Amino acid sequence: MAEKIVTDKASVTAPSTSGNVIAKYLPVYFALLAIAGLEIFLAYRNFSILTLMVILLVLAICGAALAVMYFMHLAQERPSLFLSLIPATIFVLFMMNAIWTDSFRLLHMKPFAH
Amino acid sequence: MQEASPAQVHAPPTSFLRKHVFSLDHKVIGLQYYGLALAAVTLGMVLSWLMRFHLVWPTVAVPGLSLISKVGAPGGIITPEYYLSLLTMHGTLMVFFVLTNAPFAAFGNFFLPIQIGAEDMAFPRFNMMSFWTTLAAFLVLITAFFIPDGPPISGWTAYAPLSAIGSDAGPGLGWGQTLWAISIALFCAGSLLGALNFISTTLDLRAKGMTLMRMPICTWAWFITSCIALLAFAVLLPACLLLILDRTAGTSFFIPSGLVVSDRLQPHAGGSPLLWQHLFWFFGHPEVYIAILPSMGIVSHVLMASMRKPLLSAKVIIYSMLSIGFLSWMVWGHHMFVSGMNPFSSLVFSFPTLTITIPATIMTLIWLGSLYGANIRMTSASLFSLGFISMFVSGGVSGFFLAQPSIDIYLHATYFVVGHFHMVMGVASIFGVFAGTYFWFGKMTGRMLNETLGKVHFWITFIGTYCIFMPFHYLGLVGNIRRYSTFVDDFMGPLMPLHKFITIAALITGAGQLIFLFNLFHSRFWGKPAPQNPWDGTSLEWSIPSPPPWNNFGDVHPVVYHDSYQYGVKGSKGDYVMQDSPEQVVGG
Amino acid sequence: MSESQVAVHGHGAMMEASPYAIPSRKLTMWLFIISDAVTFGACLMAYGYLRTASTDWPTPFKFYPSILNVIIMTFVLITSSLTMLGAVDAAKLGDKAKTTRFMWSTIFLGALFAGLHLREWLGLIGEGVRPFHNPWGSPLFGATFFSITGLHLLHVVSGVIALFVIWRGYTRGTLTAGHVETTGLYWHFVDLVWMFVVPMVYLLSIQR
Repeated sequence: MAEKIVTDKASVTAPSTSGNVIAKYLPVYFALLAIAGLEIFLAYRNFSILTLMVILLVLAICGAALAVMYFMHLAQERPSLFLSLIPATIFVLFMMNAIWTDSFRLLHMKPFAH
Repeated sequence: MQEASPAQVHAPPTSFLRKHVFSLDHKVIGLQYYGLALAAVTLGMVLSWLMRFHLVWPTVAVPGLSLISKVGAPGGIITPEYYLSLLTMHGTLMVFFVLTNAPFAAFGNFFLPIQIGAEDMAFPRFNMMSFWTTLAAFLVLITAFFIPDGPPISGWTAYAPLSAIGSDAGPGLGWGQTLWAISIALFCAGSLLGALNFISTTLDLRAKGMTLMRMPICTWAWFITSCIALLAFAVLLPACLLLILDRTAGTSFFIPSGLVVSDRLQPHAGGSPLLWQHLFWFFGHPEVYIAILPSMGIVSHVLMASMRKPLLSAKVIIYSMLSIGFLSWMVWGHHMFVSGMNPFSSLVFSFPTLTITIPATIMTLIWLGSLYGANIRMTSASLFSLGFISMFVSGGVSGFFLAQPSIDIYLHATYFVVGHFHMVMGVASIFGVFAGTYFWFGKMTGRMLNETLGKVHFWITFIGTYCIFMPFHYLGLVGNIRRYSTFVDDFMGPLMPLHKFITIAALITGAGQLIFLFNLFHSRFWGKPAPQNPWDGTSLEWSIPSPPPWNNFGDVHPVVYHDSYQYGVKGSKGDYVMQDSPEQVVGG
Repeated sequence: MSESQVAVHGHGAMMEASPYAIPSRKLTMWLFIISDAVTFGACLMAYGYLRTASTDWPTPFKFYPSILNVIIMTFVLITSSLTMLGAVDAAKLGDKAKTTRFMWSTIFLGALFAGLHLREWLGLIGEGVRPFHNPWGSPLFGATFFSITGLHLLHVVSGVIALFVIWRGYTRGTLTAGHVETTGLYWHFVDLVWMFVVPMVYLLSIQR
C-alpha cells in the first residue's frame, strides 16, 4: 500500500509552482477575453447569418482549444491523453453533422410555416 | 477518503446492509445487476408470451390479466392498444435492462477487476450509485404497468410525435410515456457512471505485467463497450430530457405545426419528429454494439478454454471490435431509410453499414477457423458459445439485405426486421450471457451448475429459437407488418398456421427457460461445490478461490507473465499455463 | 505472489503504470468532460437543426440589457477560471489560506454568474418568453433558449456546490489538492461550454 502512495503522489502533475500562477496564465486569460470581445464586435457587422455562424464557431473553437490546452493543462499531460480524448470527441460530434441534410430539406417541405 | 491509493480501497464489509444491499464490492454489484437482468428478462419473456398468445388466439381470454389492467385487457382479452403497450415494455425491458445490463454491467462488474488483477473498481461508490440508479430506472418503468392509463404504446424507440404529444394520442401516452422517458434518462445516468468506472479501472488498476495486449478478450470487449457507452448514452440523455420537456413543459422539439390528433389541433408548432429519430438512433445503433460486443468477448473467452488452443488471432479479434466501435457511429441512419430522411443520406449510411459487416465477418471466420481441428470439450458453456456463432451468422446475413435502402424500403417494419434483430442482437447476446453463466457460475457463487440440465436447456433454446425467428424472415418477405395485434380478418389469414407454429415454439422455448431458472436456484444452494479452476482456464479469475474473498486476491498482488490464452502448451498443470505463473512457455 | 516475492522478481510497483500518468480521479473527470461535451454538442445541434428548419426564428436580443449582461457574465466566468487556477496551484503548494481565498473568489464569481443569468431569464420572461410561446416567432426559440442555458446553469450551480464541498473537505484535511484540481477541470469545462453558448444562442440572435 505504501508504494501506491508514492506512485500516486508522483503522478499528480505539478505545473511549475514557482512565482505567481495568475501572472503565468494572464496571456491566455486576455486571449480568451479578446476572442469574446471580437465575437461580440463581429456579431454587429453585417455578415450573413451563415458567414457569421462560421466565423463565430471558428473563434469559439479557438477559445475552447486555449481553455483545454492551458487552463485544463492538457498541453502539459502526456500526448497520449490528448490523442485518446480529443479525436474521439471530435469524431463523434462530427458524425452527428449528418442530421443537417434533413433540417435544410424540412424548410422546403414545411406546409404550415406561413 | 485518502489520496493514498488510486483505488478507493474500502475496508471489509461488516454489516448486513454493506455486505448484501448497499455493497461497494464489485462482485456483489455484479450479482445485483445479474439479478436485475434476470427479473427484467423474466418479465419481458412473459410479455412476449402474452403477445404471441394474443396474435393467434385473439378471442381467448388470458386468465388473471384483467387484474393487471381492466382497461387494457377487459375480461382478459388484450385490446390492440394494450398489445402495443406490451410490445413497448417488452422492447424497453429487453434492450435496456437485459441486453445492456447482463453481458456488460453484470459480468463486467464481476469479472473485469478480477481479470486485470485489481482489488475492486476504481470508484466503488460510483459503482454502487450506478446500480441503484439503474434499479430506480427499472422501478420507474415498471410503475407504468400499475397506473390507470397503462404503459406507453410508442414502442421501445418512442417515435415522436406519438411519444411527445400526450394522452390525446392514445392510452399510455399520458403518464405512462413520461415515466418511460424518466426511466430511460435515469438509465442513461446509471450507465454513464458505470462506463466511467469501467474505463478508468481498466486503464489504471492493471496488475504488474498485465499490459493492455495481455488482457483477456472479454476485458477488451467490456472496455470498448464502455467507451461506446460513454459517448452514446450522452446523446440519449439530452434526447430524453427534451422529450420530457415536450411532454411536461409544452415545448415542441419533436412536434410539428398543425398536428391534429383525436380531432384536436395540438398546441405545438415548429418541431421536427425526425430530430427525435436522429438523436435516438445516434444512440440506438451504438447501443446495438453495446449489447453484442460483451457477448463476443465472453464467447471468445469460453471457446478458447473449451478448444484448448488459442484463437487464430486474438489481436485481430480486438482490432475488429475496435473497428466496430469506430464504425458504429456512422451507421445509425440505416434505421431511418423509410422515415422521410433525405434519400441522399440513405446512400451515405448504407455504405458504412455494409462496411461494418467486414470486421464482424472477420471475427466469425476467426472463431470458425480456430474450431478447425480443435478437440473441443462439449460443456454447456461451449455449446452456448457455438450457438452464439450460429445465431450471429444466421441473424447477421439478413442484415446485408436490410443495409441496402432499395431492399429495406420493402422489408422495413415487417417481421423480417423483427427476425433479424432478435437473432443477431437479442438471442445472440443472450446466448453469450448463457455461455458466461454456465462458465462462471461456479466462480460467482461457489457452486457448479448442473451440466446435464444445461445441455437440455441449450438444445431446447437453440432449436426453439430457430423455430421462432427463422419463420419471421419468411413472414416479413410475404409482407407481414410488425406491431399489428391481429391478422385473422385480413389478407394475412393464410399465414395463421405459421403464426400458430411460432407461438407454440415460443411457449415451449420459454418453458425451457424454466429449466435454466431451476438450475440457477437449485445449484446455488445444492450444487456441487466449485473448485478453483473447473475449466482449466488461464486467466486471473481462475487463480483465486470460488467464490473470491471480498478483496479478490487476498493480500497478494498478482503478477502477470503471459497473455491470457496459453492453451495447448506444455505447463506444470497440464496443457495450459496460468497468466500469473512465471513458467517459461516454449514457443508461447 | 507475496510482496517479498515481487521484490525478488524485481518488480518495483504493484501495478502497471497508468498509461497517462495521471490519477484515476482526474482521468475519470476527463472522461466525464468528453461525455458531457457530447451532451452539449447534441443539444446545440438539435437547436441548430430546429432553427435551420424554421422560417420565423426570432432574433430579439438587444444590446441593453441582454448582450451587455452576456458580456458581464462572460467576463465573470472567464475570470472565475483564472481564480480557479490560482486555487489549484495554492492547494498543490499546501497553502490553505491562499486556497481558501481563491476558492471563495471562484464560488463568489460562480454565484454572481448564476445571479446574472437568472436576471437575464427573468427579463426575458417579463417580455413574454415561455418554453412554449414568445411574442416574436417560432415557439422553439424559448424552448431551445431555456433548455440549453438551463442545462448550462445547472452545471454552474452544481459546480458552485461542488466547489464549496471540496473547499470544506480540503481545509478540514479530508480531501486533497488532487480533488481541488479535478474540480478545477470541471469548472474550466463549464467555462468552455459557455464559449459556445454565447455565440450560438446569443450572438446569432441579435436584434438589428
